[in-house]
Amino acid sequence: MQMEQTRKIEKNIITLEHVDKEFEKVKEGGVFEVVKDLNIKVRENEFLVLFGPGQCGKTTILNMIAGFEEPTAGTIRMKGEKINGPDPSRGMVFQNLAIFPWLTVMGNVEYGLRMKGVDKKTRREKAQYYIDLVGLKGFENHYPIQISGGMKQRVGIARAYCNEPDVILMDEPFGALDAQTRYLMQDEIIRIWEAEKRTVIFVTNNIEEAVYVADRIIVIRNCPTNVKAEYEINLPRPRSYIDPDFLKLRREINNVVDHTL
Amino acid sequence: MTAKKARGKKKKHSYIWLSVLSVVLFFFVWWLFTEGSLGTIKENVLPGPIKVFQTLIDKFSNKNPDGATMQVHLWASLKVTLTGYVIGCLVGIPLGILMGWYEKADMFVNPIFDFIRPIPGIAWTPLFILLFGIGMLPKVIVIALATFGPALVNAYTGIRQTKEVHIWVGQTFGASKGEILRKIAIPSSIPFILTGMRVGLGVAWSTIIGAEMLAATAGLGYLINLCRGIYRPDIIIASMICVGVIGAALGLVLTFLERQLMKGGRW
Amino acid sequence: MLERKAKMWQKIAAAAVSFALLILIWQLAAMNPQFSQVMPGPFAVLQKFFVSFVEPIGKNVMLQHMLITLSRWAAGFIAATILGIALGLTMGWYRGFEAFMRPLFELVRPIPTLAWIPLVILWCGIGELAKYVLVFIGAFMSIVQNAYHGAKSVDRTIVNAARMLGCNDRQMFFTIVIPASVPAISAGLQIGVASAWSSVVAAELVRSSSGVGWIVVTGQQNNNMTQILVGILVIAVIGLLLALLIRRVEDVLCRWNKRGR
Repeated sequence: MQMEQTRKIEKNIITLEHVDKEFEKVKEGGVFEVVKDLNIKVRENEFLVLFGPGQCGKTTILNMIAGFEEPTAGTIRMKGEKINGPDPSRGMVFQNLAIFPWLTVMGNVEYGLRMKGVDKKTRREKAQYYIDLVGLKGFENHYPIQISGGMKQRVGIARAYCNEPDVILMDEPFGALDAQTRYLMQDEIIRIWEAEKRTVIFVTNNIEEAVYVADRIIVIRNCPTNVKAEYEINLPRPRSYIDPDFLKLRREINNVVDHTL
Repeated sequence: MTAKKARGKKKKHSYIWLSVLSVVLFFFVWWLFTEGSLGTIKENVLPGPIKVFQTLIDKFSNKNPDGATMQVHLWASLKVTLTGYVIGCLVGIPLGILMGWYEKADMFVNPIFDFIRPIPGIAWTPLFILLFGIGMLPKVIVIALATFGPALVNAYTGIRQTKEVHIWVGQTFGASKGEILRKIAIPSSIPFILTGMRVGLGVAWSTIIGAEMLAATAGLGYLINLCRGIYRPDIIIASMICVGVIGAALGLVLTFLERQLMKGGRW
Repeated sequence: MLERKAKMWQKIAAAAVSFALLILIWQLAAMNPQFSQVMPGPFAVLQKFFVSFVEPIGKNVMLQHMLITLSRWAAGFIAATILGIALGLTMGWYRGFEAFMRPLFELVRPIPTLAWIPLVILWCGIGELAKYVLVFIGAFMSIVQNAYHGAKSVDRTIVNAARMLGCNDRQMFFTIVIPASVPAISAGLQIGVASAWSSVVAAELVRSSSGVGWIVVTGQQNNNMTQILVGILVIAVIGLLLALLIRRVEDVLCRWNKRGR
């Protein structure tokens, strides 16, 4: 509780101001408005969850923050500077894993450091630390095809952390996992986040998951996307799915969100 | 926002210009070193593009030097190719289906087929010439053999990849084994069969050109090889253009057929 | 495990039976004097095959013919592999280069390899060079084509992942595009091996003074069916071995892609 209080006074690390994003419709012509006048302030070291229904452009928001896509209008700043393309200071854990299948677990985790030209000994040591942190000790020399989905997602997390970014973007990282693994990974991600304090922006379409992991939840409206509501989650960690306060919050948010088919 | 869109469009435009530039440059350089001011390459080694173009047009009405016009050669090659191709497909596809469906047939026939497959179609030519002379028959057999391989392999793979779930669905509805083959396995392998037919056609077209170099009295391969002996590279290149165009056209016809067949939305 | 072994033996037995049956029928037919006038029996062919290792056909014994043909194949194929992969990958990855090279490539591609034989002989003479060039053309097209598609279809999220880990343009090409294209490249090599083999045989059939293709074509000229069949037998065996060799290479290169599948 105490820590959560202190975190809140800290400054904003990323700001989105009046961000619009349109895609050209290739077949019919015209444009498709995905994001419209989006304003978000991300605080340093918080665990922020972007929560919204199915296809509402959450991934697009993350891609813009990461720098893979440019907003059509508005600005996105990180530490006061405009974001211009991807940068190692913003790591990402991808929904469809996107780990390099031709590299071993070790090769994947140390990839960012290798690109920076860090010498082999240093980067091996560091990568080993993060491999141990995500619980993959002993699997360093396995290829991705040889390990399970949950383990692959751990590789993705270790890979993002090993590059020591200031912000880590997680795009429905547990979407493809089975329910049991998912619960386990939710605890794991909190454990890792507490061990390695960094700002996390976490996208999900699962209410329980959102309430379980978040410091703060921003509920996203369906297309065109912008902020619908915002919740501070002050429940103590570790949280419980059946805690009355948890259920109350869950119901409250459920009433706000757009339900779509 | 408008600025960005404009930039995107401009980029696309510049790529098209790059493509145009490369083709223009290609023909210009070719022209420059043959018919142009730097014309150091002799005409009996590499004629210029204009000369080749003239020869190409001219050859459709001029019987010299080989005694037949281009369309006669074209038809000679096409006739043999299509006959052999159809035979190759008619034998190869059913055999592939059979081998894919009946494991026993697969066990006995596959080894022999595996042994024969690496033999390029063209290598059979001398054997059949010796058996049947240099008429149409040996070439038809060679083409059929060349088509047969890809047609069989793809039909075989198509049957083999039939989803088990689909077969189970058939079984729960009480379909007999023959019905499952006819109504499930064969339809679901049609994309593969068509791929095999397309590959086979390409191989067949290439093989006929080679076979006609070995033994023929007409046909594009014959024409090309004859013109090598009399140093007429302009006719060689003109014929190669014809070969390329016909090959591409045949490919397009099959692609079109494929689209028509697949429209049913069965996949 | 035991069942699989039993199945394997069953397969080998079936193969042996069907080969034996084929040879038996052939031999029985060859006992008919009318048939044997045009077609020798299987044992005559086999005998001739073994004898040809000692008694030269033309100027060379069989082993020399085989080595001559193989060296022609190897020279053209290796050159095509190196240049084809380089061209295909750069064409697939760099859009400007693609815009420039692709039209030229598409201009030449529809012309079947065998149609090049006369022109290449005219330009390069009837010596070894012409054969190298023809083998090169045969293998080059499919290798370029496949490498091109490989580089063209590198997964977007893999590229994004690498960019967010801080890899620059040069590193992108060497550490992402090349390994990601390996499966496509090796598919191209498989086709390339076969078409290079077909090219060298065709080139030797049309114009040569040695090699396995030459054995076949002189067999025809001398009305010697046995020699033709020996030649075809050798072509089949070498072709099979080359295909197996390249499949082995693929297994090694694509280990990360195949294991456990």
